[in-house]
Amino acid sequence: MPSESLALEAARPAAGRRSAGGTGQSPAPGEAPVRAARRHGRRAWLRSAEARHQAWGYLFLAPMFVLLVVFKFIPMVQAFYLSLTNYDLLSAPRFIGLRNYLTLLGDPLFRQSVGVTAYYVFGTCVLLWLLALAMALVFNAPLPAKNALRTIYFLPAIVPVVVYAVIWQFMFHPYGLLNVGLQSIGLRPVQWLTDSRAVMPGFILAGLWRFVPYFMIIYLAGLQNIPHEYYEAAAIDGAAGVQAFRFVTLPLLRPTIMLVIVVSLILMSKVFTNVLIITGGGPDGATRVLSLFIYQTGFQFFKMGLASAASIFLLLGTMTFTLLQLRLFREDARG
Amino acid sequence: MVRRHTALYWIGVLLVAAWGVVQLLPILWMISTSLKPLRDVFALPVEWIPRPPQWGNYPAAWGQFPFARYFLNSFIVSAAVTVLNVFLAGLAGYSLAKYRYFGQRALFIAILSTLMLPIEVVMVPTFLIVKTLGWLNSYQGLVIPVVADAFGIFLMRQFMLGLPDSLVEAARIDGAGELGTYFRIVVPLIWPAVLTLSIFTWRETWDAFVWPFIIITSDTLRTVPIGLQRFQEQYVTTYNSVMAISTIAMIPMVLLFFFFQRAFVRGIALSGLKE
Repeated sequence: MPSESLALEAARPAAGRRSAGGTGQSPAPGEAPVRAARRHGRRAWLRSAEARHQAWGYLFLAPMFVLLVVFKFIPMVQAFYLSLTNYDLLSAPRFIGLRNYLTLLGDPLFRQSVGVTAYYVFGTCVLLWLLALAMALVFNAPLPAKNALRTIYFLPAIVPVVVYAVIWQFMFHPYGLLNVGLQSIGLRPVQWLTDSRAVMPGFILAGLWRFVPYFMIIYLAGLQNIPHEYYEAAAIDGAAGVQAFRFVTLPLLRPTIMLVIVVSLILMSKVFTNVLIITGGGPDGATRVLSLFIYQTGFQFFKMGLASAASIFLLLGTMTFTLLQLRLFREDARG
Repeated sequence: MVRRHTALYWIGVLLVAAWGVVQLLPILWMISTSLKPLRDVFALPVEWIPRPPQWGNYPAAWGQFPFARYFLNSFIVSAAVTVLNVFLAGLAGYSLAKYRYFGQRALFIAILSTLMLPIEVVMVPTFLIVKTLGWLNSYQGLVIPVVADAFGIFLMRQFMLGLPDSLVEAARIDGAGELGTYFRIVVPLIWPAVLTLSIFTWRETWDAFVWPFIIITSDTLRTVPIGLQRFQEQYVTTYNSVMAISTIAMIPMVLLFFFFQRAFVRGIALSGLKE
């Protein structure tokens, strides 16, 4: 399990591995007493220590579970229901079947939004995987003043999200630092905020600035878990440099790489705040990502049904990635 | 590990240093802009250390909006969410790790499945529920729905599975009681997890934008991110003021990071499980 050293620093690795699949518990020790108790009759069992023990279990779980039911399960079910209705907040929701979905599929703005989201997600992620890995490899070498450097590196990832948006809106300004940089190496300035072809590459650049350090930290944790002995053994067999990377680092880093891939996909598909603040979706919808489409449809045009249908599409996306992730954890737990 | 430094190594060091500088430039530019008079903001060549620094930009910008109130609100909400979430998630995690009861496995899977419902996906129905409860524009609305997050349960359960069952049973036999066992035996042993989850939750809540943005319209309830966004909207071309407020808004996060670096980084790396 890739995050084991992080997640289970205080826990024992063996226990972590057993649990990592999420549910792989040994046969419940409560079962035998329960069966025995049944023979003595239900009432006796209800008074038994075992029953009291179970009751405490339910009691401890209950507060959080109730909260999750109210603020996660019910919204989830309601999203499905609302997506089949016409609802403007003023009159009661009216059932209209699948019409919202058909409207969306025929809506050029929605189709553009899906395309824009995919562009941002995959554009950012692919570069992110490579850059973060490269930086982590360099950083894994013994560097002078490593801890101080790591702290500095990490700053973009801890800047509050609104500040991140404000900084980059300023960077994208026609006279901003990006264009100053471009001009200083003899290139022509770019209209980052108004040129519909330049705006998304700009957002991808900003995303890399914020998330390369974040994923570099995850990669580093994975790299530091690879025992030195493996490299020493490889060196004896004559593998060093690129070969050591190809035959030692890459295979052993596989779980971490998978984790980074899935997490970055989910994280990027939720993009909202910086787009809302920097461009509000413009120019001409070139940055109207799905979450912004949902927000505008629901909270600016008050089409709650249509917005819910759109969020089902977004949910399908993140759900696919999440299931992929849970599956990976289970595989790692076994292997 | 002792080894000879090759040319490749020094190229790597240079790369790291160069990339570090490039990454810092936007933040440095923000800070230096916050200290410039407005007419010099885009002056070329870029003046990294403004002379003389306009410290007056800070009180001037701070006075435009009730930022003290926003900071207080952020503090109240973050503290409430962190305390409630860590407390309830700890209990739930304990229940899942150290008790055996009917339906436990199904409950755990149900809890895990909520991890794939970020607020960006369920913002419409969650808004409607909070509206039905009459919690729009209220502290309850800012706090309670955010407490309902399964990540902490998952994290605490993982840590508690690592504790030997015999320890818990011994405490029980000694008559510590169920709650006593939890607070006096279990919690002290998983302290690193408690700290990690606290820092993580605090950071997420302090920085939360989408949820307060949707449910808060009253100025007295705005948190720092919403206040900053409103300020930026209104004074968008007064770059030095916007940058001054942004710099102030960054400080609490940076302080938190410096004081709790280990727990902070661990939380960041762990959030992989959440996102």
